[in-house]
Amino acid sequence: MAEESILTDDFIRQLINVGEVDLLVGLPTHNNAKTVETVIKAVQAGLLKCFPRERTAILNVDGGSKDGTPDVVTGASINDLRRVYNIHALRTLPSISTRYASSPSSETSLHTILSAAELLRAKACAVISPESLNIEPEWVVKLLRPVYQDNADFVAPIYRRHKFEGVLVSNVVYPMTRALYGQRIREPYASEFGFSGRFGSLFLTQHSWRHEPGQFGTELEMTLNAITGGYKVSQAFLGTKSRSEHHPDDLVAAMRQTVGVLFSSLEPNFATWSAVDGSKPISTVGPEYEVTLDPLRVNRKRLKDMFSAGVGELESVLRSILSQSTFEALQQIAALDEETCRYPAELWAKTVYEFAASYHKSVISRDHIVQALVPLYRGRMFTFLVENRTASAEQIENGIEFLCREFERLRPYLLEVWNGGK
Amino acid sequence: MAPEQGALWYKNAVIYQVHVRGFYDNNGDGIGDFEGLAQKLDYLRELGIDAIWLMPFFPSPLRDDGYDISDYTSVHPSYGTLEDFKQFLLAAHERSIRVIVEMVLNHTSDQHAWFQESRSSQDNPRRDWYVWSDTDSRYRGTRIIFIDTEMSNWAWDPISKSYYWHRFFSHQPDLNYDNPIVREQMWSVMKFWLELGIDGFRLDAVPYLVEREGTSCENLPETHDIIKELRRRLDREFPGRMLLAEANQWPADLRPYFGDGDEFHMAFHFPLMPRMFMGVKLEDRKPITEILQQTPEIPDSCQWGLFLRNHDELTLEMVTDIERDYMYDSYALSKTMRINLGIRRRLAPLLDNDRRRIELMNGMLMSLPGTPIIYYGDEIGMGDNVNLGDRNGVRTPMQWSGGWNGGFSTADPESLYAPLLLNPVFGFQAINVLSQKRSEHSLLSWMKHLIRLRKSTPAFGSGSIEFLYPANHRVLAYIRKLSNETILVVNNLSSSAQAVELDLRAFKGNILIEMFGKNLFPRIGNNPYLLTMGPYQFFWFRLRQI
Repeated sequence: MAEESILTDDFIRQLINVGEVDLLVGLPTHNNAKTVETVIKAVQAGLLKCFPRERTAILNVDGGSKDGTPDVVTGASINDLRRVYNIHALRTLPSISTRYASSPSSETSLHTILSAAELLRAKACAVISPESLNIEPEWVVKLLRPVYQDNADFVAPIYRRHKFEGVLVSNVVYPMTRALYGQRIREPYASEFGFSGRFGSLFLTQHSWRHEPGQFGTELEMTLNAITGGYKVSQAFLGTKSRSEHHPDDLVAAMRQTVGVLFSSLEPNFATWSAVDGSKPISTVGPEYEVTLDPLRVNRKRLKDMFSAGVGELESVLRSILSQSTFEALQQIAALDEETCRYPAELWAKTVYEFAASYHKSVISRDHIVQALVPLYRGRMFTFLVENRTASAEQIENGIEFLCREFERLRPYLLEVWNGGK
Repeated sequence: MAPEQGALWYKNAVIYQVHVRGFYDNNGDGIGDFEGLAQKLDYLRELGIDAIWLMPFFPSPLRDDGYDISDYTSVHPSYGTLEDFKQFLLAAHERSIRVIVEMVLNHTSDQHAWFQESRSSQDNPRRDWYVWSDTDSRYRGTRIIFIDTEMSNWAWDPISKSYYWHRFFSHQPDLNYDNPIVREQMWSVMKFWLELGIDGFRLDAVPYLVEREGTSCENLPETHDIIKELRRRLDREFPGRMLLAEANQWPADLRPYFGDGDEFHMAFHFPLMPRMFMGVKLEDRKPITEILQQTPEIPDSCQWGLFLRNHDELTLEMVTDIERDYMYDSYALSKTMRINLGIRRRLAPLLDNDRRRIELMNGMLMSLPGTPIIYYGDEIGMGDNVNLGDRNGVRTPMQWSGGWNGGFSTADPESLYAPLLLNPVFGFQAINVLSQKRSEHSLLSWMKHLIRLRKSTPAFGSGSIEFLYPANHRVLAYIRKLSNETILVVNNLSSSAQAVELDLRAFKGNILIEMFGKNLFPRIGNNPYLLTMGPYQFFWFRLRQI
């Protein structure tokens, strides 16, 4: 029996009508009617203003919205742009929409976008989050232009973020990606990015697609794939990123999508990361990093309590994952009070690397290993918040840079524990 | 005797634009003439055209290819005599071909006796026949049309020591239409030719007849008053004759030239033409549908004049800056191909001599609402010579055969009014009437077929148009309808094969008959009607309820 396609007949018909394109923008949605109009207008304006001659299309992949999101997308007329942006389009800019059968799944969305990009022979593609309230038309341009005109294969975004936003990225994902794969990508796991048609096609065929609800960190896998595949990667500063609503933090899920993906990338890419020496900056359009320093209330005590409790409750699990010295050091800092408790960069890097090695060796269930890192990450997060309570942007950047260098310095340690006993 | 047809003959006609100088040289002096043109009327009859539009053939110093007239009631000696013209007119009418004469009302040559008198002294009775001024600061809101050559719309006359107004070249002073004697004189000129039996006028540069301070000096109400008066006299004294306006304006600005059916019978749809080229290059119907959506309704007795190319540059005045840049980059990458705000190239070279695109463009020309006008030589795919000055590169001799001078003239090649094309792609040995007549698959033979089909139904000339908007934007589809006749036109603007689904439910039950091959296509049902089309292919379907 033939394998069932994720592309419906109706969607194929829409793709036929769009025909070959130069540029494609994918817009994965699920109940985003309130924000998606702003986003699509900005995307339309960016495409028409900066790529007036190119064949372009916008593709909405919807995960079963009940609020009419797809209608908003397909109903957005480019004629309105003349009034708002003073743009007169040279050619048609089709906006099409498809809905997949399963529940919302970033994997299915990306799979659909990549499949469409390949069928339409798009030379450059961008994925844009439907929640980016303060999106500017330039965003889509900054993600597409490096690919379309400068032969980049993957473009990661850089955002202006609050200093306490994206701590998981700044304390784990960025330092570890940088140390292991040698490229300084600030946002390896982003909801907005650009890629070339040839890289998209390759990822489409090489990736094992799972069509289950939820997030799987596929975007991070794509970034890692671009790096390890030797593709030309660049970054683009987009501006302030603010989302339409607060998303409740499910740290376990976030850990699976980030650390889980990073850990699982290590085995197939051993030859790559084991040969890496240091790290290199990559081509970036705009500033490389910007933070905002507005006061923000954070419950640090709760983080510290959860860290200490986790070290105690998960002792047997942690002993099976960590080295004796690392676990004892953890026990010592977990016993300290809020004022003195600090999870230093070196210990944090060692912890993460020992988790990675244990993941490789499957000392216990791999998912349990990832979950066990959550309370420890809370300890590191607590330290980051305390240390940077009154820090300037420069101090924060210096702190992250120091952490990254620790990850880089300790990379031989990862090799050691990877190859050695526990 | 003029050919028998209804008063609205121009609505269903196919017009052929020709310069007598460039068509056929009978007396062997290297310049085409009326005797030569008369000899080629059978060719035009076979082609299937209904009317000839003759470019200016009056005495002229020829500093603007005859648009600088120095005598309105005679024939330039290079082209023959007035008697030759009369014989030509008679021969054309015998073949049911009408003759439209181009008339330049706005200005004369500075060599015209009227201007010579006018400039001779400030007291001359004809002084007020032209627009004079002591300063060059009047009418400052008026654009300059020939931006490549003219710095001002005023020129200093050293003889009468004052400035005269000219919208075009400085050797073409504008007549003063505020002077009733001038208006009367110009009607007399028109009447002269109408009494000889011509069937209409193509009136050049009509928006510029009157000047008023504080305006753009274009499309003024006073200009419309003058046209209305000309039309009133024409209808009264010469019913059935036609006036065609040359006014390079946006559709909304052009609309007043039709008045309530009491100004021009026809006007060129200038903005559509570049957008047809744009649509094919972009592979997108948007430019075409957009401009036609902006095109206002016109009175039933009126008609748009449609064309792909003519004797002028492919004008890009009526496009946006971004569209103009695109057109230049797409169709005139070399600066030598550009002139003023346009492109001085013929149809076939513009389309890379691609037969499929040439056919598609002609198919749209013949099926969109309006009367198609074919520029001489485009029916065989003649090329151009951008190395000739001004717009002369698209005005080279007609290529009749592969023989001496391309069959145009027996003169020495050096004495031809313009050199023939000699290159291996467009030269007369590769592209000529004789060789194309011998092949039923030649462009010429195909054009004859196309014109026959166009004339097989009045729906194209007089019918309504309703655009279909299939989701495939590379396909331009429309319904032409007149009483019981319904024609479906589908054009693939793309260089690749396309599938398109058309919503034809309003015509459910009809069978489609493809007009070129007369083959049947499936009956229209409730589902979208699927067509697959080859690159640049187009279909004309007659809908039949059987």
